Amino acid sequence: MSAFIPLLTTLLPVLYGLAVAGYVRIYASEPRPADSEGESFGHHWAPLMLRAAVLTHLLYLTSRGIVEGHLPLASVYDFLSATGLSLAAVYLYLELRQGIRTTGIFVLPLVLLIQIVSSAYGADAPTLKPQLQPIWFELHTLTAVLGYGAFAVSAIYGVLFLLLYRDIKANRMTFFFRRMPPLETLGRMNVTAAGAGLLLLGLAILMGVGWARLAGVSLLSDPKTWLTIAAWLVLGFAVLAYYRLGWRGPRAVYASLAGFTTLILSRFATDLFLQSFHTFR
Amino acid sequence: MSAVTVAPSTLDLFCVGLNHETSPLAVRDALVLDDEEVGRAILALRERGGATEALILSTCNRTEVYARGAAIEDPRAFVASLLREIKGMDLSGAEGRFLYTYREPDSLRHLFRVACGLDSQVLGEPQITGQVKDALSLAVKLGGSGPVIERLLDAALRSAKRARTETLVGRGPVSSAYAGVNLAAKVLGSLADKRVLIVGAGEMASLAARHFHEAGVTQFMVANRGRERAESFAATIGARVVTLEAIPVVLAGADVVVSATRSPHPIIAEAAVRNAMRIRKNRPLLFLDLAVPRDVEPSIARLPNVFLHDLDALGMLVAQSLAQRHAEIPKVEAIIEEELARFLRWHRALALKPTVAAFRSHFERVAREELERHKGRFRPEDQAALDQLVHGIVQKLLHRPTTRLTRAGEEKADGIARIDAIRDLFGIEGSAGVERDDEPDAGTEGDANADRNPR
Repeated sequence: MSAFIPLLTTLLPVLYGLAVAGYVRIYASEPRPADSEGESFGHHWAPLMLRAAVLTHLLYLTSRGIVEGHLPLASVYDFLSATGLSLAAVYLYLELRQGIRTTGIFVLPLVLLIQIVSSAYGADAPTLKPQLQPIWFELHTLTAVLGYGAFAVSAIYGVLFLLLYRDIKANRMTFFFRRMPPLETLGRMNVTAAGAGLLLLGLAILMGVGWARLAGVSLLSDPKTWLTIAAWLVLGFAVLAYYRLGWRGPRAVYASLAGFTTLILSRFATDLFLQSFHTFR
Repeated sequence: MSAVTVAPSTLDLFCVGLNHETSPLAVRDALVLDDEEVGRAILALRERGGATEALILSTCNRTEVYARGAAIEDPRAFVASLLREIKGMDLSGAEGRFLYTYREPDSLRHLFRVACGLDSQVLGEPQITGQVKDALSLAVKLGGSGPVIERLLDAALRSAKRARTETLVGRGPVSSAYAGVNLAAKVLGSLADKRVLIVGAGEMASLAARHFHEAGVTQFMVANRGRERAESFAATIGARVVTLEAIPVVLAGADVVVSATRSPHPIIAEAAVRNAMRIRKNRPLLFLDLAVPRDVEPSIARLPNVFLHDLDALGMLVAQSLAQRHAEIPKVEAIIEEELARFLRWHRALALKPTVAAFRSHFERVAREELERHKGRFRPEDQAALDQLVHGIVQKLLHRPTTRLTRAGEEKADGIARIDAIRDLFGIEGSAGVERDDEPDAGTEGDANADRNPR
């Protein structure tokens, strides 16, 4: 099986690349009326390529997990790859749910870039750090990474929402305007992805807290934990406001973007400036 | 894509007609032909004009007569006289300027342009394609059309379908009311569960309501100063009637507000909208102000999640859409040229059929005669194998010349000259004609030369 992994490592960027080419073609072609027959070639093969890429990605990470004896999250390149999978999988879920393919161009090039970097530089798997070795800590890391991916997709849809909102307000029927789904749909995609991220990051926080209690580690002095919980609460409020308070429009989107920004800042702040055992350096 | 050169063909098709560009509405109205009148016109074209096939396209924007193979010296005068006879309108004098005449290849190209909506009052409008289909069905039913016109219409309709799916010529709103519906769908998604408040009961309000109804809206409210008129209008769309004074109250329950009154002052104030937005928890609310002077205070456009589009804004969308449609004309014309060239190849292949069939028949007859002559020299049990052998040799010898002949006839303008040379070379009798079948090799010498009468 270990001989199989380099092949998958090379195959992944190729598959994502083909999918991106297809989604570029979908975006470049004029949207067709609902009653028209036939679609361009890209409309058929791009989603197929994406499915193939996601399945191959799963196979790749599973194979590495079996060969290495732990989840493949030992290096920054592994984290990148898992985040890429999360982005692609959440996007694919939204595409299948909403039947909209014109937004793939805004998510998948990021996945391609991430996977190119991961495949190019992450070939030599390092040994897993001791603090990452218990299985449910591994799961904590995995769910956190998947959650980050889902929040990133949510943020992308949030930005698309704001751009389309601006075009409609200004009465501009641009190239972008014609290709975007309705504003209401973009808002729903934004909050659906945020909901998935909320669930995954919530699990990650619970497992992390559980592990810390068992390991006798105090989280009170860990700024990343507090910042992540703060971000989770902001995002939780954004999702709650959408479903329970009926928030719609820019206000709901700004709330989810604020949560995502807090999450990203917490990540960078703890890695760059703050002392936190979460950095694992 | 460059235009394909249309090689000379033998369709002999003319078109005489009038449309919205050449004639006023009153004339066009007076010349709309019903089914019975189309039947009379086709009969006259066939019997008095000697046309082998005829088709009449009569809509509110055009009446056009297409006929092929007719022995008519002056088609325009013939059609003018026909219309006078059927509709009682004299187009022989000064009114004759309303009529245009196209002969090949312009008549073919004109038909394709009509089917694709390039000749329509609203560029790219789709109804004309259905009307061309109906004209063909009627011609088939009345015995006016034949294989060539049917194939021609088939090609024109295929062009129209391609134009609709491969270009943007039929896309985008062409009226302010419809642009408003498109915007509503862009903001709110599906309109099926949305509520529309129509303020006013005039023509514009009615048009907008009809477009929203067609887009799937079922919940309407109508507010109008005159109760009676509001009730009569509301009945047409199943709407609830409210007074103008109740607008601030019902505003919170609407998702789209279409306003088209003649009020000299705004009737929807910012304060009312602010209040409504608070009640509706800031859910999006779209205003389409179709009135002049405006019915809605422009300042509401600044409110978050409130979308205000007045006639100027909607007019810009329509102008963008029309400009986009105009920009697509070259693409549609390229499609027309492709389909026209394909049709003409088919038509030239038809002319080849008798020659190819006669050519094969000639060689096979010679082979059969020789076999018969030498029959006694072979054992009876070898006859079948011998037949097969000779037949095989003939087929192999003929394969290349017939393939080349067919290709030359289809693709080259001098194909007919080559056919004549082949006929002369092998002493094949008869002249090239048009078959009813689409299969180029299906005919035989005996039935191949007749220009078939329409059904």
